[in-house]
Amino acid sequence: MADLEERQRLLGDEDRGSGPGRPMLAICDPSRLLHRLVVLFFMCFLGFGSYFCYDNPAALQSQVIQDLHLTTSDFMQLYAWYSWPNVVLCFFGGFLLDRVFGVRLGTIIFSLFVCAGQVVFAAGAWTNHFWLMEAGRFIFGIGGESLAVAQNTYAVNWFKGKELNLVFGLQLSMARVGSTVNMNIMGWIYNRVTDAVGSPGHTVLGASLLIAAITCVFSLICALVLGFLDKRAERILNKEQEGTGEVIKITDVKHFPAALWLIFIICVGYYVAVFPFIGLGQVFFIEKFSFSPAEARAVNSIVYIISAPASPVLGFMVDKTGRNVNWVLLAVAATLAAHMMLAFTFWNPWIAMSLLGVSYSLLACALWPMVAFVVPEHQLGTAYGFMQSIQNLGLAIISIAAGAILDSKGYLVLEVFFCACICVGLIAAVLLYFVDCIKGGDLNQSAAARAKLSKEASSDAEKERRPSKPTQGELARLAPMSAFGLRNRYLSRLGAQIPEHCSSHLSSLAYRSVLK
Amino acid sequence: MAAGSAWSGGLYVVLVLWIVTVTCSAEPGRRQISMQLYPSSHSTPQAGDLLHVRAVGDNDTLHFLFCSQGAPTLLLIHTNSTSSEVQVNWPEFVARNTSGSLKVEPESSLMYSSAVVFSRLLEYDDVNDTAEPTSDLFPPYDLQNFTWNPINLSEPMALLCGTDASFTNGSLCLQLSFFDSEGRGETWPHLLHSVNSSQLEVWLDGIPARATQSRFLLEMHAVGEAYPLSTIDVYQSIDDEYTPSIFKVSQWVSSVNGSSDVLGYALWKPVAYRQARPALEDATPCRHSVPRAQSGSMVTASSGLIRGFFSDPKSMALNVSFGLAGEPFYNVTRFLSWTLLVGVGSPPVDSFSPLVVAIMAVGLGIPMIILLVGGIWLCIRKSKGASSTSYEPIN
Repeated sequence: MADLEERQRLLGDEDRGSGPGRPMLAICDPSRLLHRLVVLFFMCFLGFGSYFCYDNPAALQSQVIQDLHLTTSDFMQLYAWYSWPNVVLCFFGGFLLDRVFGVRLGTIIFSLFVCAGQVVFAAGAWTNHFWLMEAGRFIFGIGGESLAVAQNTYAVNWFKGKELNLVFGLQLSMARVGSTVNMNIMGWIYNRVTDAVGSPGHTVLGASLLIAAITCVFSLICALVLGFLDKRAERILNKEQEGTGEVIKITDVKHFPAALWLIFIICVGYYVAVFPFIGLGQVFFIEKFSFSPAEARAVNSIVYIISAPASPVLGFMVDKTGRNVNWVLLAVAATLAAHMMLAFTFWNPWIAMSLLGVSYSLLACALWPMVAFVVPEHQLGTAYGFMQSIQNLGLAIISIAAGAILDSKGYLVLEVFFCACICVGLIAAVLLYFVDCIKGGDLNQSAAARAKLSKEASSDAEKERRPSKPTQGELARLAPMSAFGLRNRYLSRLGAQIPEHCSSHLSSLAYRSVLK
Repeated sequence: MAAGSAWSGGLYVVLVLWIVTVTCSAEPGRRQISMQLYPSSHSTPQAGDLLHVRAVGDNDTLHFLFCSQGAPTLLLIHTNSTSSEVQVNWPEFVARNTSGSLKVEPESSLMYSSAVVFSRLLEYDDVNDTAEPTSDLFPPYDLQNFTWNPINLSEPMALLCGTDASFTNGSLCLQLSFFDSEGRGETWPHLLHSVNSSQLEVWLDGIPARATQSRFLLEMHAVGEAYPLSTIDVYQSIDDEYTPSIFKVSQWVSSVNGSSDVLGYALWKPVAYRQARPALEDATPCRHSVPRAQSGSMVTASSGLIRGFFSDPKSMALNVSFGLAGEPFYNVTRFLSWTLLVGVGSPPVDSFSPLVVAIMAVGLGIPMIILLVGGIWLCIRKSKGASSTSYEPIN
């Protein structure tokens, strides 16, 4: 019995005290799986509203343009304004959650921003003031991306080890489900409201967007419930708050290796050719392929529909096989093929969009973990923050450029422009392949080789790190280690293979942006 | 990865070939344009103006005749001599009683002739926003009953505007452009024209609509002695550079039965614009009906030019309707413009602009070059041996 208790403690049930004082229902006991499943449910729906409302403009593109008499470049400003605050905020999201607000309050604040942003956006449409809509998207953007960080931090606090992969996968799928539902439902909502009011117009648009804001309110409720449950669990289990673990040091940027810069270029070059394209996709399919609006929205959302199941599967595959650079090359080449199909042929766009969905999922699974292979742990926060920051900067600029190109030159030139962006990513990927070959092929190793290397490295690194500046090992001697860290140390001394996500802050960082 | 690079390599080759064919297939030749306007005389104001344009090429001449006597008509006459002339017997032409008042000298040089007549402007009330013009048609405007202003000539363009008696303000205008070399229209839809064609832009400017939800149709007749424009081919094109979001081209062609040689054509893109200086949002799609044979006598009676030139014409008619279900109505901007290209021979074929080709070539070429160079370099390094990093035996 004592043996069992001791093993339980070492294996991370995190009971500092003597466990729950009085017997509780399984569903109310924070240490039991059933309760954590309830928490998981709320965690998944935390981000639903934000992803539902992010792509509202794309789902209602023709209505927005017609009712408000916009040009396409004005329309794309709605996406650009979402990305502008995140150029700066990506660096501070983790900091705000850890030091300033704490996870619970921070989540609630960001959910409030998301809600308020969507309501202001809807109000702008209702009153036919475009500047108000842009302001609404700006406020929405402040909350949206940071909410994803908070979602991941919650996940890391409540789930450990192999469960974490599943939880991240579920969160990602829920986010994608939100986007898909948005694409397919908003048009129907708009038509219903039009029937009720009589004729389309900006008030109908405002009403539809307010209805969409209900999902944001729902997410806010989830945030409040999560905050309550988390506080209760902390009280019951005397659990230590584990934050995002991010440390941002801007001066680290000059130490980034060449491979990391190439990864940044791939990231920017790739995502700017996917998200603005989906933003403008509906009318493209209506005009070029003579799809009906409902069909066009369906094919536009196929990227998200495929990504929901494909991301966990492909993530598992990439984890098992390694060789990330090869997968990245394949994904970028496949996306280039998909865009060229859409640009230069009249082949059924379902094919190209399905290919785009699969390659998009593959790239997300293969690219983001590479950062962790290239950059030392203490710079990871800065690296991921920088990557997201320039990704948002690229998205903001390219969204506006895409709208302007479409207005003046049409869809073929727009598609060629996207192909050019992906070619930039392709060039960077090819260069990355060769740079990696020169440097010894660390990025492109198979998973087995990498696991063997990390095991050797972890025992070597422990010896190496001791005489240098105080690190985790040293600090551990100065301050009591958490049970989690203690368990890892014990296992590494035993020679057990530590999963790469055993370090909480690493895993939350690695998956933070798979949602994008 | 290898498959990806081989595929992109193949496409690169295709693109290079495309560049070569584009540059080599440019149509040669220029024409000398000379325009002559015969205004209606004071004694017979209803005679209408006659515009005669001679486009002289290397060994042929293309005559364009445009007349506002009756329904506005554009007549093309293609002759195989550079010195052919058009003779007009004015009293007979004005009287509109007999044919033969307009002749080509020498008559034996006549190769092909065809005419396009704009006969009626129809309007209907689209109460349910379905864009189906089968019912609720208002009484149509007959363009032969319009009062036409004098043709305004500003080389190489000519402008004709006219109003109906029932218009309080606003007019229907036709602008003709003639070309001495290949090129593109200056405004949307930037139609590609050759020297064997002329561009007709039709627009409704400020014409009062008889209902808030009315849409318009324009009826056209194609007239020819033996082979008028008969069938419409709709081509899909992947290139919408010059008319953003329009991927189709409609060609109304006349061909000898059974052969695929095109004698003459009327070409348009199925888009109309709702502003004088349009942006992308002002484009409204348009549809055409199936061409139907009409009796030659009706079109002969409506147009003086047809009466004077053709003895036994055959005609085909179609309607072009502007706007689809869900598109804004005419009353929103009270402006509609549509462009048509009329010519002899085969219609010009659009091709990619150099910008598109260059971007694709560079975008695909650079990674392939890097792959090739890097691969070769890696092979060389491997063949030299990676002994620099591994330990060598001491003895």
